Amino acid sequence: MRKRKIKHVLLCLLAIVVALIWVFPIIYMIISSFKTETDVVVPGIIFSPTIENYRAVLSDTFFKYLGNSILITLGTVIITVLLAVPAGYGIVFTPLKNPNSVYFWFVSTTFLPAIAVIIPVYLIFQKAGLVDNPIALIILYCGAGVPLMIWLVTNFFKEIPTEVVEAASLDGCNRLQAFWKIMIPLVRNGIFSAALLVFIITWNEFFFAVTVTYTEAATLPVYMSKYMTQQGYFWGKMCATGTLICIIPIILGFFTQKSLVKGLTSGSVKG
Amino acid sequence: MSKPKINKKKDNSTRVLLPAVIFVAAVTQVPFVVTIIFSFLKWNVKRPDLGIKFNGLKNFVDILTSKNFYIVLKNTLVIIVVCLILCTVFAILFGELFNRKFPGGYFFRTLFVMPYFAMDSVVGIVWKTLLLNPSMGLNYYICKFFGIQPIDFFGKHSLITVMILIIWQWAPFFFLIIIAGLQNIPDDVTESAKIDGANGIKRLVSIDIPIIKKHIVTAMTLGLINILKVFGLVYVTTQGGPGVSSANLPYLTYRTIFYDWSVGKAAAIAVITVVITLFITQKFFNATNKDE
Repeated sequence: MRKRKIKHVLLCLLAIVVALIWVFPIIYMIISSFKTETDVVVPGIIFSPTIENYRAVLSDTFFKYLGNSILITLGTVIITVLLAVPAGYGIVFTPLKNPNSVYFWFVSTTFLPAIAVIIPVYLIFQKAGLVDNPIALIILYCGAGVPLMIWLVTNFFKEIPTEVVEAASLDGCNRLQAFWKIMIPLVRNGIFSAALLVFIITWNEFFFAVTVTYTEAATLPVYMSKYMTQQGYFWGKMCATGTLICIIPIILGFFTQKSLVKGLTSGSVKG
Repeated sequence: MSKPKINKKKDNSTRVLLPAVIFVAAVTQVPFVVTIIFSFLKWNVKRPDLGIKFNGLKNFVDILTSKNFYIVLKNTLVIIVVCLILCTVFAILFGELFNRKFPGGYFFRTLFVMPYFAMDSVVGIVWKTLLLNPSMGLNYYICKFFGIQPIDFFGKHSLITVMILIIWQWAPFFFLIIIAGLQNIPDDVTESAKIDGANGIKRLVSIDIPIIKKHIVTAMTLGLINILKVFGLVYVTTQGGPGVSSANLPYLTYRTIFYDWSVGKAAAIAVITVVITLFITQKFFNATNKDE
């Protein structure tokens, strides 16, 4: 018994070590963001912390990109929810001839690589004057977000117990009432976590951002990628920017991880 | 799917699906069909004087006879196979490791999955500069400590570097799904195996893995789809180089369209990429569903 206890403690310590090693690059970035530009190139934890990098980084330019990211991400999430939730409901609760094939059609669009659509879309945006316009990114992100959201939300709708729906219709609820008053409260948490996932993916998305925007509508990933070339040697400021950008998805990820797993696995694992 | 239908009479409620179907078709399927058409054209956007001509199968022939394409194809396959296997192995091992209760356990688990939620362009640049840079990064200091030459992560080993970063970012995603499966294993199953004298490795192979097989397949399927699409990590770290030694198919397509502005050729690479993606996914589905 004692041997087992020691083993348990050792394995717990090992788990902590693994977690710390894995997250080390991110922790190192956060630590470095508080170092001066001269301290930052030398690894070490003895330094006098400074917030100078953050003061320098929080410029008008940063806020412009931040504003773009927030506008585009929120726009995408709202439109995605408005399109995907009715569709998820439709797949489960309306008399479709072949609900499964509609469902798999949506799921299969998430397999399509971005490069398979970007060429004509880019040329159309160019003709329409939408390159470097937030609308272009919102359209593309919704194209990616809606199928993913339908994938997750359909599974949540399927989990609504049949009795609840029957009871609602016996009580004289019409379809819209049943949807709003009975189903939405039941799947609300699922919708919320799926929306968070769409938020995180959209916030972090790089390929579309770097292809259809340049400066005016560019988002934070594009801003960050400029550190690759122009300011490549201001590591302190780079880390401060990186930390600010990553905080939001990491915090959201913290809250969404459980329901994310539930949404992604409930269809395929049980089915 | 046998859910009761409310109010079956004159039911036109399927209309609720229309906006999503139309939108998704317009943004994903229609452009893909257009891409297929483009792949038969000779068209350089930056040279409107040359016009747009029908090019037959020449774009495909050009690509399938170029040496670079096969290097990139090989890179893509190597990335997929190595990353899928290692992500799965890490996720199972760490899943077993974290599937125990201890103070702060959930906190450390969350630390472990952080890389998945962090922006790939941010972490890519951090890895490239602070950690792996051979003249100023941690790489230099660690190698100096051991008295060896700093490792050239962005020259000879660039493909390995890209794979390290992908595994670092995606293993946490595999882990999230696999540990959900491990947590579902009833305690008495594990206990009775222990009483029967099965040691850790034996329990893992003969009990845990068969029980969580579906979780493993789900993690691998989603991982496969997403790792085939990896772009940002390549873009901010190696830019596919040196040459095309660390480029994957999405990166090659990007370079063909946005550096060469050759629409037809880029479209042809995109079409080939989709065909290869479908082929790999199909093979993977067949392999994983065979014994069910």
